[in-house]
Amino acid sequence: MSEKFDVAIIGAGPSGLTAGYFLAKSGLDVVILDKASELGAKNVYGGRIYSHVLKKYFPEYKDEAPIERWVRKEQLYFMTRDSAVKVEFFADKGFLEESFTAYLTKFVKWLGEKAENAGALIANGVRVDSLIIENKKVKGVIAGEDKLIADYVVIAEGANTVLLDSLNLKPKTKPNEVALGVKEVFRLDSEKINERFGVNDDEGVAALLVGYPSLGAIGGGFLYTMKNEVALGVVVRLDEPARKRIKMYDIVEEFRMHPLLKRLLKDSYMIEYSAHFVVERGKLPDRYLVGDGYLVIGAAAGFELNTGLIVRGVDFAIESGKIAADTILEAHSKGGSDRNALSIYLKKLRNSFIYRELEAFRKAPEFLSNERIYTKYPELLNDFFREILTVDGNPRRLYPTLRGIMKKKKISLLGLIRDGLRAVRSI
Amino acid sequence: MSNVEKKLSIEERLALVVFNVDEEPHIIVDVSKCDTCDLKPCLYVCPANLYTLDENGKIQFNYEGCLECGSCRVACPNDAVKWNHPRGGFGVQYRFG
Repeated sequence: MSEKFDVAIIGAGPSGLTAGYFLAKSGLDVVILDKASELGAKNVYGGRIYSHVLKKYFPEYKDEAPIERWVRKEQLYFMTRDSAVKVEFFADKGFLEESFTAYLTKFVKWLGEKAENAGALIANGVRVDSLIIENKKVKGVIAGEDKLIADYVVIAEGANTVLLDSLNLKPKTKPNEVALGVKEVFRLDSEKINERFGVNDDEGVAALLVGYPSLGAIGGGFLYTMKNEVALGVVVRLDEPARKRIKMYDIVEEFRMHPLLKRLLKDSYMIEYSAHFVVERGKLPDRYLVGDGYLVIGAAAGFELNTGLIVRGVDFAIESGKIAADTILEAHSKGGSDRNALSIYLKKLRNSFIYRELEAFRKAPEFLSNERIYTKYPELLNDFFREILTVDGNPRRLYPTLRGIMKKKKISLLGLIRDGLRAVRSI
Repeated sequence: MSNVEKKLSIEERLALVVFNVDEEPHIIVDVSKCDTCDLKPCLYVCPANLYTLDENGKIQFNYEGCLECGSCRVACPNDAVKWNHPRGGFGVQYRFG
């Protein structure tokens, strides 16, 4: 294989496929290269997609996409080893179509079909080893013995930026800039899911769980209901396990043994175990996203967001794929492919919701690195409810009870207020 | 039929994952760099527990069963981990990712 394309896209995830779809639709010769032998076989995420970008670019998604359940209940749990305080937001239709649960594996298959129908060539089972670089300009990709020439290269390799790191095209990924997510999927009858989670068919639950799920490490648990499965997992900042001397493969099982989860998952059957990176960088990556002959999009560009309440990635990926396609089409019509010609990508990004939101929440990782969120505060909350709900003849008024627990836990009122203000300011 | 009553060992969980193992290792660890490493984050981050200590306290590594997350590559403080994806088509095959 020694061919020439207008555009070579590395990675057939949500961002690469979206870019490929729009470029091919506009008549460019596009090849999308992916290491997996089958689309989606290397894609892992938690379980939820926010639909606003799909409404914009693929309005037919409602009938076509492999939607598991529409999220009708949002839950936030604060957990200790044997108790939990749950905050739940429920809303009837209207809110219903904002986000849905899905398997990314299946979702990218659907998106891949769209890209192929638009005329993009998807080459499965191709691992890109390096880039062809001449006079500092990227001219194509190298996969084993094969070289492939392209006017534009789009790097959509995902959160584990092996290629970018190996070519020194970006600062090396640091352990505190990524989190490791592990996920377990449990088969459970849809009837049982409906009963246990209090939802109708096609309605689902999205939950974030704080405290015990990460065994007090910076991170948290997640739970999504699929049609016939429950996806459960833990995400922990990568520098935490060694520091706390806890093993990542054990944390998730420890969490699963929580009495509340045991009830939710009773009689189910674990069918898969998986792991993947999540980017939690905070600062905007700007500098490495554009170069001579190439663009970086999706999770490889750092476009993922965890605010503590909302975890997102796929919608950013799709938007960045669309923006990259627009950029290349514009540059192509003018005949340019150097850094200058492609720098409109940054301008377009800055005007998009991607930068608006990443900028607004740039302090979230710093706020979320406060250990008390995962240790003392969930304990405080649980102890507080345990105390004030106890009836044994001793009166327990709210404020004295709270102060009593704070004293026992060595939590100062001022510290609590300070952390509260920090939360309000950063998320 | 249910397998969720107790904790599942990592071996039991990896048995649920579909692999197409490449004969060519995609990760090569230069264990000579591990002797001076006090933290040994690989022992804690690897979600498949592929990094273990032998009876002499030396790092042992096996690439089979790798979930391809990249954690060892990023967490290693001594650049001892040479990491690439398995060759095209090989490695883990997720069905519910």
